[in-house]
Amino acid sequence: MADPKSLYQEVILDHNRKPRNYGALEQASHKAEGHNPLCGDHLSVALNLEGERIASIAFQGESCAICKASASMMTASVKGKTRPEAETLIREFRDMATGQIDVDKQAHHLGRLTVFAGVRDLPTRVKCAILPWHTLHAAFHSLADTSTESENDPMHAPIGDA
Amino acid sequence: MHPHDVGTLLNQDGVAVRTGHHCAQPVMQRFKVPATSRASFAFYNTMAEVDALVAGIRNVQKVFC
Repeated sequence: MADPKSLYQEVILDHNRKPRNYGALEQASHKAEGHNPLCGDHLSVALNLEGERIASIAFQGESCAICKASASMMTASVKGKTRPEAETLIREFRDMATGQIDVDKQAHHLGRLTVFAGVRDLPTRVKCAILPWHTLHAAFHSLADTSTESENDPMHAPIGDA
Repeated sequence: MHPHDVGTLLNQDGVAVRTGHHCAQPVMQRFKVPATSRASFAFYNTMAEVDALVAGIRNVQKVFC
């Protein structure tokens, strides 16, 4: 892609083509299913906590490139981190995607995940990028499943419909 | 490739299509697809705009292969 502002940068396309940590875990201490009924995306996230640390994590499902790349990069980012560290990333990622923090001006821990900052300008795609993080949050809290359209979801973000 | 990815890429090229289930979920189930991209034409569209759509679709193919 010629346009450097495009959401479809090489790192996102690469994670879409070759998703990391894709598949199921034989045993999981925490897991959840996430859906976006507006676009048909659904994915599951499973992980094993050893104490407070994420020892293993995997995801699988059917989704668009933005959602799959977000899930792939999420699993790569949180593996080996503690649950509070991962929860900080969940919050910061959501705030970046919904335009509540400016990653160029404010402190954060997102690192390479800032390639998704461009979704804030694409209201219909914000939920695609956030769905894996919603689902990780649901897994930590042992909610059986989550939806981007559920009003009582603690991660429900005040953004428009896709 | 997912219709929403197609729609976002075409949008970057200034081509507007509709993506999603078009409020027609039974048809999506019938064809076993989660969603589709739909280009619609009207009397005011020009041949140049059709060419822009074709060029945009070729670009989408390039990005995802």
